[in-house]
Amino acid sequence: MRSPDSEVDLGLRLSRIVDQLPTAGEPPAYLGHRQRRIAGLSVTSALVLLLISAVGVAAISTVVGTLVIGHPGIENPGEALPNAGLECMSPPEAAQYLAAHGFSSVIWEVQSGDLAQNTDVSTIQSTPPAHGYVVPGAVLEDGKLHVIVDQRVGATGTGKCAHMSMP
Amino acid sequence: MTGDTKPINRGGAIADASKVSLGGVTDAMTPDLVRRRDFEAATGPLYADVVRRLVFVVRDLEDAKDIAQETYLRAFEAWDRFDGVDARAWIYTIALRLALNHVRGRRRWFAFMGRHGDRSTASLDPIDLDLWLAMETLDRRTRAALLLSAVDGYTHGEIGLMFGVAEGTVSSWLSRGRAAIRAALTGS
Repeated sequence: MRSPDSEVDLGLRLSRIVDQLPTAGEPPAYLGHRQRRIAGLSVTSALVLLLISAVGVAAISTVVGTLVIGHPGIENPGEALPNAGLECMSPPEAAQYLAAHGFSSVIWEVQSGDLAQNTDVSTIQSTPPAHGYVVPGAVLEDGKLHVIVDQRVGATGTGKCAHMSMP
Repeated sequence: MTGDTKPINRGGAIADASKVSLGGVTDAMTPDLVRRRDFEAATGPLYADVVRRLVFVVRDLEDAKDIAQETYLRAFEAWDRFDGVDARAWIYTIALRLALNHVRGRRRWFAFMGRHGDRSTASLDPIDLDLWLAMETLDRRTRAALLLSAVDGYTHGEIGLMFGVAEGTVSSWLSRGRAAIRAALTGS
């Protein structure tokens, strides 16, 4: 092995290497190449559109899912209290059950009004009301559990205890 | 020293042919054809050198050919913005800048595909092969700068303009590059 003795030596040796390197082809035929480029762009565009469509469908599904389901119900499979049956309890019973399972900080949203007349008033409180249908809620982003108690006239409750008399 | 007295090429000569006069153009030639003729006259003779330099930097003939094609396509599209001074420097700048980016992307892809190998060493003699392999220790940017400096004779300032960096930065690249080559060749 031999080290280049000088800048000139390195330049000459590198020049010799470059001269030895293979070369091939000719410059592109520009007009035709432009057309191929447009075709290539079309393929790329199609792929991009496909990707955007897939992302769009996923995004729409997520948004729609959020709109319909809201936060995952606390009694749903995989959540904190699957099949707890809160909807069959009175609000005080539910509060007791939740506290026993570690949910000491619960947001109670009490809905009153008349279902038939479409009047609906919500009141947020930190203690459970005395009566009403419990609608199992969800754990919110801040870690608090949100439970709805439906006291509206004409309400029927939800889940496996729907249509039972209002606790 | 090898005793080889081959003069170092220097950019600029081709510039005389880059913006050829349109005198004598017949009525049958459209502006597009005139533009294409001018471009080909200025850059066509450089194509083989561009490919060789790209092989030197990316160390793969197929990649080099791809980049060269893209280089000429972009150059043709940008031909109206060429200042007419040095077609060779202009085309080398486009090619080498493309090479630096292209190689990064391709290497990731080929690493994923499990493709390796250097297909451009076959025609090199053993002495040059040492230097060729020593160049492997350099990053692509330093290889390109060394090529432009030691082979094509561009100044550090000119190379800085090509890569969009300060002259001192090029000097630093080259100094470290030469040191790395010496170390690779002497095993130190």
